[in-house]
Amino acid sequence: MAIFNLNKKEIECKIVFYGPGRCGKTTNLEQIFKIYHKQVAGEMVSINTEGDRTLFFDFLPIELGKIRGCDIRVQLYTVPGQVQYASTRKLVLRGVDGVVFVADSFRVRREKNMISLQDLQKNLKEYGSNILKTPLVLQYNKRDLADQDIPLMPVKMMERDLNRQLKVPSFAASAVNGDGVGETLKKILKLTLIKLQKDLNWAK
Amino acid sequence: MSLVEQIKKKLNEADVYHTQGLLNEAKIKYVSAKEFIEKNKQAQNSRKILVALEKKIKAIETEIIKVDRETKPPETSERIQDLIKDLFSFSKDNDSHAADFEGAVALAKFGQYERSLKEFNKLIGIESLRVVAAKNILRCRVEIFSLKDAVAKFEEWLSGSLLTSAQLSEIRMFLKDIIDKSIDDIYLPEIESSIEYLPEILDISSIEIQFDQGPEKGKSVEFDVSFQSGNIISLIISNQNKELIDDLSVGLKLNNIQFYSPIAMFPGAGIVASKTLIKSGPKKGNYCLDIKILNQ
Repeated sequence: MAIFNLNKKEIECKIVFYGPGRCGKTTNLEQIFKIYHKQVAGEMVSINTEGDRTLFFDFLPIELGKIRGCDIRVQLYTVPGQVQYASTRKLVLRGVDGVVFVADSFRVRREKNMISLQDLQKNLKEYGSNILKTPLVLQYNKRDLADQDIPLMPVKMMERDLNRQLKVPSFAASAVNGDGVGETLKKILKLTLIKLQKDLNWAK
Repeated sequence: MSLVEQIKKKLNEADVYHTQGLLNEAKIKYVSAKEFIEKNKQAQNSRKILVALEKKIKAIETEIIKVDRETKPPETSERIQDLIKDLFSFSKDNDSHAADFEGAVALAKFGQYERSLKEFNKLIGIESLRVVAAKNILRCRVEIFSLKDAVAKFEEWLSGSLLTSAQLSEIRMFLKDIIDKSIDDIYLPEIESSIEYLPEILDISSIEIQFDQGPEKGKSVEFDVSFQSGNIISLIISNQNKELIDDLSVGLKLNNIQFYSPIAMFPGAGIVASKTLIKSGPKKGNYCLDIKILNQ
């Protein structure tokens, strides 16, 4: 849950990048760190295993500056995607204000995307949140690999699989090249701030 | 597509999955490529490719086993542990003890048991957190040392005076459950039957707290009791009394309380057992404070 300090006119909110293992959540944060280095309010913390799998979480604090008289600070997190880290994944999700679901475009990862989205829905529910009411953006990552002749799912198919009911904004992306990363971030920030305005009425 | 092209396509796909860290998918693809080559041995260099593929499959199987075995997270630096503690202390703006507890739990969840143990060893000193802190101390000791060590710690508490019989019973049940689930056959001592009986507590209708420390020192405030369960009374404090809410932190001992019941009034002491923000209903935004009446 966002922290709104009325006296200091500050809002601190939390956005979590969720998705199956190896879908590119950490790569998204690394690109944000590179592209928006002026807004980055500290260092990016990543705790990985030898094989570059996220072990705990990644953390990147950014500052958006003043919006309607309020200083907006955002904490970006990724969750560990591997199945065995279910309990820490849930812990990282606690108090979330907005979610980016990063889906893997590889055809072979179709089922993993769906399982991970169900996991997100279940974990949000356990925290008393409804996925349909949570600011959410879908990102269809690794689109660049079509050039390497790897079977990818068409975006239409991914929309049908993941976004048929949610009907949330979605972006095709190649996080490794930075494509679609900024658009995804801007959209989730916008949706989150709109939701926080409804809940906290911060922009008076 | 020629045979060679088909083989190249399969191998390329497997290699990409491998570089992406998708080990199972890569293995499936390498195996599929191998089977394809075996069926089509007329392909150029098929024997050489098969040998190379065997090696790749074996190497990837070793990698998969290694990843699956990585169950125990490493101990991280103190800086990272401080960050974990800070980021996952969700109550830090409302209740410092609750925040410390959440931070210690988070450290344990992330496998930082040694640091977590240090934190819980501090928290066991706080009356309202004593039992949960004790359970977590045992949990950490099982992870760091052994189940036997946790039992030894429990025995130490049994012979000490930190925990009451009721608290020890609850902790024993927790430890018994861990022992039952383990393959070790470990004896867990019983608690001697010196069950404490709480004295009969009257129905309290209101209380007056006189502060003997902190910014409110010397002042007294009166509250109606909204609910009582045994020796725990609940009060509602308006969110307009911000300073008062801050002062009444969890674990604070209140030495001068006047208790009013319909048939008597008596002086006593209590401890702030919990403080909760009311999130819905007509009292939304106010705080519910539980005070445990202490036997004196």
